[in-house]
Amino acid sequence: MAENNSQPSFPDNLINCGVTFICWFYFVFAFLFFFSFFYAAAFIFSRERCQSFQYLNYLFFKGFLGLLRILTPRQKWKVDPKIKTIQGSIIVCNHLSYLDPLIFISLLPRGKSIVKTKFFKAPVFGWILKISGYLPSSTEGIHAQRMITEIENMGEFLGNGGNLFVFPEGTRKRGTVPSEFHKGVFKIARMYRCPVYVLSIHNTDKLFMPGKFFFNTRTDNCIRLKMLSCLTPADGQKTISVTALAENVKKIFEKNTYSNEDTA
Amino acid sequence: MTRDELQKNIVSILVDEFEFENPGLTDNLRDDHGFDSIDAIELLAKIEEMLGYQISRKEKEQAMSIRTINDILNYIETIQAAHQSQ
Repeated sequence: MAENNSQPSFPDNLINCGVTFICWFYFVFAFLFFFSFFYAAAFIFSRERCQSFQYLNYLFFKGFLGLLRILTPRQKWKVDPKIKTIQGSIIVCNHLSYLDPLIFISLLPRGKSIVKTKFFKAPVFGWILKISGYLPSSTEGIHAQRMITEIENMGEFLGNGGNLFVFPEGTRKRGTVPSEFHKGVFKIARMYRCPVYVLSIHNTDKLFMPGKFFFNTRTDNCIRLKMLSCLTPADGQKTISVTALAENVKKIFEKNTYSNEDTA
Repeated sequence: MTRDELQKNIVSILVDEFEFENPGLTDNLRDDHGFDSIDAIELLAKIEEMLGYQISRKEKEQAMSIRTINDILNYIETIQAAHQSQ
């Protein structure tokens, strides 16, 4: 078995390569030969196109994560079951790996997020993001209209049980101190006075390391997703301070996430 | 509503609800006060409340390029003028 920080052996590399290849195979072919038909049907026939796309995203990534779990028996997955019950809320979490958003999509049948505007330009993927109601991270040029529409619809989305999950640090993070937060998500919380759930994710970066193409499947690892806290506006509280909300979340991260860089 | 009244209302909203400290009329809202597109959308809702009518989608998109409080005041005056001419 390969140890942390040591070079994997040739057979381990071969297995990592195989797992990565199978996952990509699922990504491309499960979409092309199975899910694309449902996406097309939802696009044409669904009255709630956005909601239908979110549900298809959920199923697609549930399949992806299910396959990944089967293919990586050395990875233990501990996901707080309470997370699946969250509704009508904003969810904030630290960000370690490209796997993180996929995990959230696979847990939340009605979920959307804020994504970098460059992803909206990607063929097929960008189209799915648009129809699913994802928000662009900036309002440059053509994205202004999308941002206005999505922010204005957010109240109804949250009111109907949808969740907005966001990584307020913006980018994948390594180290022991939270990065400066993007405050947009806290401004949405202020605007719609909705609960903010604070979650922490651990060790996804050990399975899918930033900057690497292949999964690292041969090291014992425990991927954990925990619910740390829920911040709700106090009864009668007229305004919500974005600065105070962001500071609260940061303190919770510092106490529970970054001070507890755990191992498998 | 006169420009002075508008200014008083807008500054009051920015201080009370957007946590601005001592905003100046020519401050760069983004650089000096962290005002971004989400704030702009929230402020537009407040402006609609203040004016008592809805702002069109096209007018809202124009608001995304606002940089200063003076720009906000000019923007509201333009909207008011357009609304009155209808």
